[in-house]
Amino acid sequence: MSKQYLSCGSADNAHPVDIFALAVTDKQILSASGTSSLKVHSTTDPDFPLVQSIDGAHKVGCHHVVTNGNGSRAVSIGFGGEIMIWSCHDGVWAKDEGASVNKATPADVWAIALSEDGQYLAGVTQDGHIKVWDLDTNGEEIRDYETKGSFGTCIDLSADGRFIASGHENGSVYIFSTESGRMPFSLSGLVKPVRAVAFSPGGKFLAAAGDSKVIVLYDTSSGEQVASLSGHTAWVMSLSWSPTGEYLLSGSFDGKVKVWSIDTRACVATHSETDKAIWSVKWLAKIGRSVGFATAGANRSISFYREATGG
Amino acid sequence: MTESHLDDMEAEAFELPTNITTIPQTPVHSYIQETLAAILDEMSSPEGQPSITLRQRGKKFASLFINPQTQALETSEMQTYTTYRWPGRDGNEAWRFTVALRVLAAIAEAVQEGLVISKRDIYYSDPACFGTQRTVDTLVDDLAHTMGVDRAALYVEAAAKGLVVGYYRIITRMDAVVDARFSNQDTLVPRTQDIHEVDLADVAWVLVLEKEAVYRRLASSNYHIRSAAGKGILVTAKGYPDLNTRAFVRKLFDHSRQLTHKRPQFYALVDGDPDGMAIMATYKYGSVAFAHENRNLNVPGLHWLGLKIPDVVAGADPLEDNTLIRLTKRDRKKIVAMLSRNPIWAADGPEPEWRIELQRLLILNVKAETEILYDMEGGLSQWLDRKLSSR
Repeated sequence: MSKQYLSCGSADNAHPVDIFALAVTDKQILSASGTSSLKVHSTTDPDFPLVQSIDGAHKVGCHHVVTNGNGSRAVSIGFGGEIMIWSCHDGVWAKDEGASVNKATPADVWAIALSEDGQYLAGVTQDGHIKVWDLDTNGEEIRDYETKGSFGTCIDLSADGRFIASGHENGSVYIFSTESGRMPFSLSGLVKPVRAVAFSPGGKFLAAAGDSKVIVLYDTSSGEQVASLSGHTAWVMSLSWSPTGEYLLSGSFDGKVKVWSIDTRACVATHSETDKAIWSVKWLAKIGRSVGFATAGANRSISFYREATGG
Repeated sequence: MTESHLDDMEAEAFELPTNITTIPQTPVHSYIQETLAAILDEMSSPEGQPSITLRQRGKKFASLFINPQTQALETSEMQTYTTYRWPGRDGNEAWRFTVALRVLAAIAEAVQEGLVISKRDIYYSDPACFGTQRTVDTLVDDLAHTMGVDRAALYVEAAAKGLVVGYYRIITRMDAVVDARFSNQDTLVPRTQDIHEVDLADVAWVLVLEKEAVYRRLASSNYHIRSAAGKGILVTAKGYPDLNTRAFVRKLFDHSRQLTHKRPQFYALVDGDPDGMAIMATYKYGSVAFAHENRNLNVPGLHWLGLKIPDVVAGADPLEDNTLIRLTKRDRKKIVAMLSRNPIWAADGPEPEWRIELQRLLILNVKAETEILYDMEGGLSQWLDRKLSSR
């Protein structure tokens, strides 16, 4: 069964250069790019207007921005290696003065993920370490897991905070237990660079993808590979689960965006509005009964899609 | 180098105070005579403190900017002078004076004899004293900068580096005609001082290459004559360009601007990595080390033909993945330094596409060498035909 997602607007040229990352809250979408500013667009207004520009956030540009579950906190990391923490009050973002990351934080942290409550920041470094900081106690580093040293390209935290997954350039995917500090699984299946890892909302699955062009689904309780979704013909750069966990969204280097049904393990929708790289895809918070997602990348705009209802 | 530029330089040099009676022939002669005479004076008095004063070249990234008029990388740093005395404050200053004097003496001899020497010759005259070749290289450039001339005027030449082949003719200052049009023989890039006129009629493109291997492959297949994009000129400096090669490409560019129709276009084909980008930037905007010279050497009309990472990734499939190489730690550090310190790659700088390319390299953590085009569909020639014709 195919699904229909209709283009429902876009923030055209939201940034003058490539948009590398998107992060969502219940009302807004944050975007990071090669410029020094972070942009905030409203997702509750059908015109998706720009509501805030956080200028001068990252002098040499920003490659990752993440938010916590309720949208009270965001963290961004720039090409210069600097980590910035932001808090949101009444829809307006400002530097979070109450939070910090330890000054001794290594400069080679690359990808980051924020816990649901916003207290813990997880990061993977360029030499393959996975670290966790407690942002509310002076950013103390509370975990440091070592792997085989391959560049850490992506990281995710499960919604319940019990697991961290990381993806690496040599194709490795690891799952760590934040409670025991152990690594229960080193997941096989991908041999080329991994570009995205994402836990399903209930934590049952981990999806991973990258230069192999397939998306691999793992069962997080057994570590077994349970499905392999193929259809992309270019590197898969970004993954995002729908809020219910029924669908998985993926974006690739050739500009294609796909929606996959987890039930049937099939691609139910493909969008190809651009032939330029998609760097980031994200499901949006549900507005009323309407479900939708956003995509962004080298075409410099944020595109919005809504599920076609009725019919 | 243009005529007016030389005039500027000479005017500047003549403003230096002069206390000798002979009329200096050139700024080089006058500087050498004055400096050596002053040193001898000091040495002949018991309390004497012989010294050499050098004009410093720009070193601070913060003072660099892109001049909108010249479109060159320039420095706003004030001219500063450093004086090394003997015996000076300490052993280091005494040594600095000594090596500067040794280099100046070697240059004085070369100028007087009219014989060209190399920086290598100077270094090997006393390696123990100089310590490293770099000491000599820096001093030669500092002395040239102090006298306001280029290195060739000091009769010091680096080994000729650049190669050129193409559909052009040169008329030399001696009225000789050098016709390169039907040759695929390697020619060293000629000294621009010797060029009176360049005939670029029928030249559609000038392609600057980073890699000598790529240059050789194209030259040996007569690509400059047989290209579907028209007749052209191939140039390489085998990596980062020397002043001579930059001056030659600039000369071609200046002559091309004088043509009233069908002006040749200028392109760069470099590796998809930070050094490739920096090499292209050196041709187009100039180098940090010679910020004071860039306005006479930059090539504002240079277009970036490749290698662009999106092209490579898209075309990587049939080639399999060994075409892409991981960035090294040095590559990543260099990219971050380029992004954060050099105005060419600044957020509000002149080349947003170059900036985003460096950022893409960081995100993908890959780089690619020009040679991968050999294996693209139709090989390097057809790839170039497509790219050169589509502009």
